[in-house]
Amino acid sequence: MISFLKKDSFSRDACLALLSWVFLIVVFFIIPDPGVHDIIQKVFILGLFALSLNILIGYLGLIAFGHAAFFAAGAYTLGLFLQSDFIKIYNFGSFSIPVAILLSILVSGVLATFIGAICIRLKDIYFSFLTLAFQMVIYSIILALVDITGGDQGLMGGFPKPPFLGIDLSKPFDFYAFTIFISILVILVLRQLIESPFGYGLRMIRDNAERPAALGFNNQNHKLIAFIIAGSIAGLAGSLQALLDVGAYPEWAFWAKSAEPLFMILLGGMNTFLGPLMGALIFEILNDFVTANTKYYGLVLGLVILSFVLGLKQGLLDWMVIKFKESRNKNAQNK
Amino acid sequence: MIKRNKHTRRTVIKNAALGIGALSFSAGFPSILKADDNIKIGVPTILSGRVAQLGISVTNAIKMAVNKFNEEGGLDGRKIELIIRDSRAKPDEAARVCRDFINSDNVDVIVNAEASGASFAVQEVIRESGTLCLHTVSETTSLTADPSIRAWNAFRFSRQGIHDAVGSAKYAAKIIEKKGIKKWMSINPDYAYGRDSDDTFFWALEKFAPGFELIGKGWPKIFQPDYTEVITKIAREKPDAIYSSLWGGDLVSFIDQASLYGIFKNTEFFAINLADYTTMNAIRNLPKGLHSATRYVAAWPDTEENRAYDKSYTDLYGDHPTNWSWEASIAIDYLINALKETGGTDNKKLAEALKGKTIPSFMGVGEGNTVTIRDRDQTITNYSIGWGTTIPKEPFIQDVQAANWDTIENLEEEWLTNKGWI
Amino acid sequence: MELVAFLECLTSASCIISQTAGGLKIGMLLFLVASGLTLVFGVLGVINFAHGALYMLGAYFSWQVMNTTGHFGLSVLLGAIGVSIVGLMFERGLLNRVYNAELLIQILLCYSIVLILDDLVMIIWGDEFLSSIGIPEIFQVPPLFVLDAIIPPFHLAIIGLSLLLAIGLWLLMTKTRFGHLVRAAAVNPNMLEALGINTTVIRASVFVLGSFLAGLGGALASSIGSVVSGMGNSILVESFIVTVIGGMGSIGGAFLASIIIGMARSFGAIAMPLFTDGIMFLIMVLVLILRPHGLMGDKK
Repeated sequence: MISFLKKDSFSRDACLALLSWVFLIVVFFIIPDPGVHDIIQKVFILGLFALSLNILIGYLGLIAFGHAAFFAAGAYTLGLFLQSDFIKIYNFGSFSIPVAILLSILVSGVLATFIGAICIRLKDIYFSFLTLAFQMVIYSIILALVDITGGDQGLMGGFPKPPFLGIDLSKPFDFYAFTIFISILVILVLRQLIESPFGYGLRMIRDNAERPAALGFNNQNHKLIAFIIAGSIAGLAGSLQALLDVGAYPEWAFWAKSAEPLFMILLGGMNTFLGPLMGALIFEILNDFVTANTKYYGLVLGLVILSFVLGLKQGLLDWMVIKFKESRNKNAQNK
Repeated sequence: MIKRNKHTRRTVIKNAALGIGALSFSAGFPSILKADDNIKIGVPTILSGRVAQLGISVTNAIKMAVNKFNEEGGLDGRKIELIIRDSRAKPDEAARVCRDFINSDNVDVIVNAEASGASFAVQEVIRESGTLCLHTVSETTSLTADPSIRAWNAFRFSRQGIHDAVGSAKYAAKIIEKKGIKKWMSINPDYAYGRDSDDTFFWALEKFAPGFELIGKGWPKIFQPDYTEVITKIAREKPDAIYSSLWGGDLVSFIDQASLYGIFKNTEFFAINLADYTTMNAIRNLPKGLHSATRYVAAWPDTEENRAYDKSYTDLYGDHPTNWSWEASIAIDYLINALKETGGTDNKKLAEALKGKTIPSFMGVGEGNTVTIRDRDQTITNYSIGWGTTIPKEPFIQDVQAANWDTIENLEEEWLTNKGWI
Repeated sequence: MELVAFLECLTSASCIISQTAGGLKIGMLLFLVASGLTLVFGVLGVINFAHGALYMLGAYFSWQVMNTTGHFGLSVLLGAIGVSIVGLMFERGLLNRVYNAELLIQILLCYSIVLILDDLVMIIWGDEFLSSIGIPEIFQVPPLFVLDAIIPPFHLAIIGLSLLLAIGLWLLMTKTRFGHLVRAAAVNPNMLEALGINTTVIRASVFVLGSFLAGLGGALASSIGSVVSGMGNSILVESFIVTVIGGMGSIGGAFLASIIIGMARSFGAIAMPLFTDGIMFLIMVLVLILRPHGLMGDKK
């Protein structure tokens, strides 16, 4: 099974992606509990967020601590655009949602270009701190521009979600199917990218920055492109979250929000492509269970993280993959 | 998993976790009862972190009222079942918790006990779902006053910024006259509530005592630990009076630190959020003669009913109620009233029953000690607003003067008209 | 931007004195906490995200001692010592397991401690914020007037105490054998090991010292502010700013940066009351771009 997954052919990946989507659609009907649907779509939104950050952490070895800046940029772009008069003036009508989502990706991508170009010149903890500082500047700006962003109260009053191509996002099923479709599509594309020469270039830079440079590689360009891709996908995740909550909030640009995808990457694993998605699943189930049963959420989450850091020392999916390989090797030896 | 029982998911997850054993403890806010014809109320609130006190005092008050209702036989035997969940003060969590209440738990009514930011998130969820929602806690005027935010199924049972501002300004005007105050400063937390409070107070003060001079403003961040830079500014400008809407631990720290500078010796301090037990108890040396609105004190309104409320709450929880407690208590009173009146949980009928309704209440100052849910914007009026001066010991506040609701509503209307909201 | 008010202030002696004194007090309290953070980073190479949580513990511990004994000095001292013990347990029990791990693992380990401690203090001391422990009686006197500027004696005491500690720290690091070893351990721990010196003890003692400073900062803060779960978060972020601006690992740099931040806060409140936090982060961004190793940090 793993060998089948490991084969890096696009058609196989695409088939798997389509199958997963169909499977989740079936799940929607055989488990009629909307709470389950809510968790699944949230796992994909947060999963995109964590996967995008893992491009930097897992494949480049850069611990970005300000990734929520792009999540928030996407969310605010979508919300502000849908609340604006543009839609009426230029008569976007039913296309306002796809346009808004594309715009969110674009805006967070541009923001990532600026921030990334400056940050990637630094290494290690300095890189982390600079991303953190940029994020907090953006957070301060969101709070200060009360007239535009609503300040600390966030974008208020909701926005319309006109149907497009027969998809009505105010219907739970449409939202579920749409969100998961987009997410799986992006994950599929990301997968191709990570397995492409570009993706291997990133790993080379991570493992030994001098060698690729000596081979005539432009390390900085590679890093910047990765940073922009990561920022854009985080922006997409933010715009989907904004669509779900019909609003955008400054908390999404605060540093504590940047810690969430770090948790997910830790829980799921940074060395396996889908690790962060698995992490998002663990994080969401934990969230759902803990908040329903105790008010000491931080205590439980802290203990879980602690046990991963000290016990498993890696994400769950990483661990499973390694265990699987080990047992396969054993079997091979026995034969 | 394929069951119609709505608790399937929780039970499955819970059992799995119990199996692991690691997560088996539960600090438990149990659903009080489980039976299918129960009236279910979902309460999203803040139970953890810095403002956990909010959620605790709200849920205490709600449980007290609900238990009484259930013990008295409920609604023809139907009892109220409470589902209380923590949003950790995050708007997106509040929205998720609400969707969960509506979709998975099938609640009949939501009693929202979130602070402002998250309340707006809740408002969007219930606007889409059409679930009856009773807001407590959030004081931001726009939640019910702004027609683009208002919803037919949302009602507000908490104080409102503009009401407080007018009441405060009227009281301040009297002190201005008595003590010859001219120069004002304002120290408000730098977020929507603080800015609103600053705007509306001085706008209203202009109406009652024109000609004052506003010589400076300080905007500390919410939860700021150190107010030195703001206090040195005050010490230097030497205003005659200060207006502040700092609250909770922030107000405590500010008063502690400003006392070092002797600020309160020569300056009249108007702190709208001071007279709440948790706050006054936490100030090490509460200076005498600070001015405060009566958020919640047993001494005001000076009635048998109010003292009885304080006593039953204190007997039960060993602690005085807070401002948030009375707001939640009144919301539940209203809800129970409407349930009895309509005989069921039909949200449309309940909303009709709430609209424009007047009921007697321990916080009521309307005719015959009543409060009213105003028809126009579905928000509570005629609740007690008073201002007095502090003393270091119980009852903490004296010389209370009650605000006049005719004055409040007149100026409120003018303000709303200026905003273009009516 | 309130330029007029700012210029007016700069031309008035009383304004300059009172804002400077206020800024110094903010800066010095910040220095106590940030110096511990930068010290730990310099020697252990770990960014201790739990530093703010230790600060909070210092406040809770001193509150507890105050409510038991009623003695101010004892409260502050025992508060700081209590945190040192917690720090020792944290370093020996948890942190030393991840010295060679990736940055992400180190950050998350510390962060999990923040999450746990924030809830733990609420379980132990309740959900409500606690009152401050108050200031000692000898300082409960009318404030001093210097050229019309008001300065509370207690602030002078805090500034004085912090300065003494700064000097003590400087002497410790430059004039004692311990200090030499610590600085050597920061540069080349393997060499020290080869010389038969136990670097484990050095690391542990540096962490204890760092925890003591965080605890002391928290204990002093509890004398003039309410004590509450999560109070360490904003001081943590400010300490990061100080550490970065001063140069990571540099105590002298932390001292300088603390004063800069204190003054930025104090005078910024007059010039740009709505963007004081923004100013601090902008300074941090600029320093990281123009001089990533900070004002006084080593170029590594």
